[in-house]
Amino acid sequence: MRRALNALYLGAGYLSGFFLVGIAVTIIAQVAGRLLGYTVDSTETAGFCLAASTFLGLAYTLRAGGHIRVTLGIRHAGPVLRRWIEGWCLAVSIVGIAYFAWWAGDLVWFSWQFDELSPGLLAIPFWIPRSAMLIGLIILLIALIDELVCLITTNDQPSYEANAETVLPAEDAGEVARP
Amino acid sequence: MTDPGIVAIVVFLVMTVMLASGIWVAISLTAVGFVALFFFSPAPAGSLLASTVWDASWNWALTALPLFIWMGEILFRTRLSQDMFHGLSPWVGRLPGGLLHVNILGCGVMAAVAGSSAVTCATIGRMSVPELKKRGYDEKLTIGTLAGSGTLGLLIPPSIMLIVYGVIAQVSISRLFIAGVVPGVMIILLFMAYVAIRAKLNPGLAPPFTDRLSLGERLSRMRLLIPVVLLITLVIGSIYGGYATPTEAATMGVVGALGLAAWSRSLTWESFVDALMGAVRTSTMIAFILVGAAFLSIAMGFTGVPRVIAAEVDSWGLSQFELLAVLTLLYIVLGCFLDGVSMMVLTASVVLPMVKAAGIDLLWFGIFTVIVVEMAQITPPVGFNLFVLQSLTGRDILRITVASAPFFFLMLLGIVIIVAFPGLVLWPVEVMTAR
Repeated sequence: MRRALNALYLGAGYLSGFFLVGIAVTIIAQVAGRLLGYTVDSTETAGFCLAASTFLGLAYTLRAGGHIRVTLGIRHAGPVLRRWIEGWCLAVSIVGIAYFAWWAGDLVWFSWQFDELSPGLLAIPFWIPRSAMLIGLIILLIALIDELVCLITTNDQPSYEANAETVLPAEDAGEVARP
Repeated sequence: MTDPGIVAIVVFLVMTVMLASGIWVAISLTAVGFVALFFFSPAPAGSLLASTVWDASWNWALTALPLFIWMGEILFRTRLSQDMFHGLSPWVGRLPGGLLHVNILGCGVMAAVAGSSAVTCATIGRMSVPELKKRGYDEKLTIGTLAGSGTLGLLIPPSIMLIVYGVIAQVSISRLFIAGVVPGVMIILLFMAYVAIRAKLNPGLAPPFTDRLSLGERLSRMRLLIPVVLLITLVIGSIYGGYATPTEAATMGVVGALGLAAWSRSLTWESFVDALMGAVRTSTMIAFILVGAAFLSIAMGFTGVPRVIAAEVDSWGLSQFELLAVLTLLYIVLGCFLDGVSMMVLTASVVLPMVKAAGIDLLWFGIFTVIVVEMAQITPPVGFNLFVLQSLTGRDILRITVASAPFFFLMLLGIVIIVAFPGLVLWPVEVMTAR
């Protein structure tokens, strides 16, 4: 189970990287097309790659401690109080992201139902890129629940704390995981 | 409809509680937007949430952001930072203040590459602090130059911060990049002049650089530095000349950076994936905050709060200068608790309408904001550069703050200069667009 979940987050992270490369590739296609006299409009494809990259990378970035938060107020809390605070943060986030994912699902469903097309030359059905938002949010939701379950059942530090890549070695040196 | 004053207070309280209790900034922004919309407006909160966030997430202007971050990550994994100290030192060693100028210029170049001030500060500091200490340089000036110049990353293009501002204020990123060049160079010159004057008055602060090197040797020490500076110039130049959009220029930067990494034999499959995933983490983080902020800003618009606050501030009858002074103070105080991106997106929905109403140019205001955010990076208790230097030098935060203070005031001077001469920011843009 642990391995499957980690693979899910990492896999989505790599997919996010793939779409980041995708932005560059569509731009190169556009520039090359212009030089050779073809019209390649990459405004939309680059935007869709960006959205996919952002949402699919959410869970991976969470686990790596990449999302910033203000720790000034909670930094000096004792270990027990700190666990309660982490529990509160995770619980609020789970409710929020679950609600968001529900409505993202609603958006995807309706764009599929009504065959909504993107306004550009390619006229891509909107439900395809929008699904990336939905999938990314669902994976983030799974990652948040995973953290909460681990917080309750184990004594380990949450992974976003343990894996935080700081510029600084000292443990209380940074307010925010990654500037 | 509830009184906007009450809405403003509730929203402010919810925001403070969520942020202070450690909830991720992006999630806090979205949740506060939801609270404002759900309780204080008749609009459908759920479907607006999904559609607003979606619209913000595939914004064309934003596509430049991950690419510039990726370019920085690639160059960062080459031997560029080693070249920085040894390459720059023979050129500036003879100036009064000697190798302290390496800190300033090195941070300036690294800033253009990395776009993050803490990373800039840490990279240059790791190379230069031991060297400067060994040669007997004044510790306070060593720390101060690093703290101050490290923040240049926010202003010198291609700057991540300017992209963020451009997206939230809907100002052209090309124009912001061009507007940022002169103030960036001006702040570098202010820092260098300060160091030179201090060293002239008290030569004991900075012993002169005595190594004599031939021109050939000087150039060979800059092996990677020269191509990197050329690449940055090419990227910015193509935007300036109107040959490329920021996204196209960023793509060119990525390709160029990969080429340089391959040429300097530091490109492996491993370092490629490393750089890419580093870019994923940073750009996902920023983009998530930005889409959350986009939703918050729409939600606030529905409640009418920004209009009411702008009207209230308008009724105080402040002059433009007074308004800017108040905003400077506000950002410096906020900067004690928040990082730059969060600060900018949090205030945007209220501050931007106010600034527009006062007749201040939003392009100019972008540069102003970024310099104030830079200053916030070296104010305690939350100043990233202070923490970096704390861990780098092992000195306590108070001493580092004191050492950085003169550079804080130099940036304040920089702000006064661009307020007095807005042409420094706007003129290069006018020249470009006039062609």
